Amino acid sequence: MSEIVLIIQFLVLIGLILTALAVVFFKDLISAAIALGASSLLLSLQFFLLRAPDVAIAEAAVGAALTTAIFIFAIKSTERKEGYK
Amino acid sequence: MKYEMSRVVRTVTDILVVPIIIFGIYLIIHGHLTPGGGFQGGAVIASSTALLVIAYGSFGKHKKDLSSLESLGLTLFILLALIGMGSTMFYNYISGTGGLFGGTLPSLGINPGYINTGGTITLMNLMVGLEVSAALSLIIWMMSKRSGMMEPEETISPSEEVEK
Amino acid sequence: MRKSIAIVAFLVIFAFLAGAAVEMRPFGEPDQSAMDDHFLGDTQERHQVNNVVTAVLFDYRGLDTLGEATILFSAVSGVLTVLREIKKDEKEEEVATK
Repeated sequence: MSEIVLIIQFLVLIGLILTALAVVFFKDLISAAIALGASSLLLSLQFFLLRAPDVAIAEAAVGAALTTAIFIFAIKSTERKEGYK
Repeated sequence: MKYEMSRVVRTVTDILVVPIIIFGIYLIIHGHLTPGGGFQGGAVIASSTALLVIAYGSFGKHKKDLSSLESLGLTLFILLALIGMGSTMFYNYISGTGGLFGGTLPSLGINPGYINTGGTITLMNLMVGLEVSAALSLIIWMMSKRSGMMEPEETISPSEEVEK
Repeated sequence: MRKSIAIVAFLVIFAFLAGAAVEMRPFGEPDQSAMDDHFLGDTQERHQVNNVVTAVLFDYRGLDTLGEATILFSAVSGVLTVLREIKKDEKEEEVATK
């Protein structure tokens, strides 16, 4: 049983690294915000596997829902593409 | 109409909003028995507000109500903490007295959990949940309003009101 | 130049984190557990509550929660101040000052 949990933890950590790299390398800022939300969701899953359900609920609600919404509102009122013109 | 999203999004929002709010209230009320508490439940309720704002692009004229709810939650939280000032601040003066939320656990150690226990901890969970849900809803609401994703509210500025 | 600085910073931080990961104690066994044992044994008897985390948040360390609530309140005040409705008179004044 614990081996399965260990394998899931490694998969979640690899996904975390991949989504964090995606946040950095996306040029479209809305895609980057959504990748940040996916990263928060994977981080909350990792918190849950490390037996901290309180932190997992807070991270899922704040990181995946509210922060993504606020970022998208901010991008809507500025520029969508990264870089200078 | 311009600020609403498509029919699919609105239907899914209609179905999902009430379960999300009920889950948030469950997290707040059972904060002293299960994982969760005031902050987590308030954040879940605020995420339902974000869903409503994105799908319908309008939230009515509830800015004053949300501000009042937030101030009320914080004030009651500080009052609850200050009442126990006879011994220390944040002293749990309700637990074990037998009143509302003042029940005693029948047996220490492993037990199924009883909702009528906790004293000030349960009440403070309620107050913090009120404050956090109102505060995060207000932040989401103001951000969406200023980003032009919501329909403009038809407000009359005080000077015009006087003229009329 | 900027790329080399970034690579050096990445390597230094990676070395620190890897060293911390190698020297980490096993999961669930803190070095000093006197306070944890006190909380775990004392909470149910004193506060009649099952959830130790909530008891620590709202009772033993209540002032921290008060600070967190105050931070949230000041954040909302800041957002409401920055994104407030700009009335007609203020707009005219801004145009006039420009």
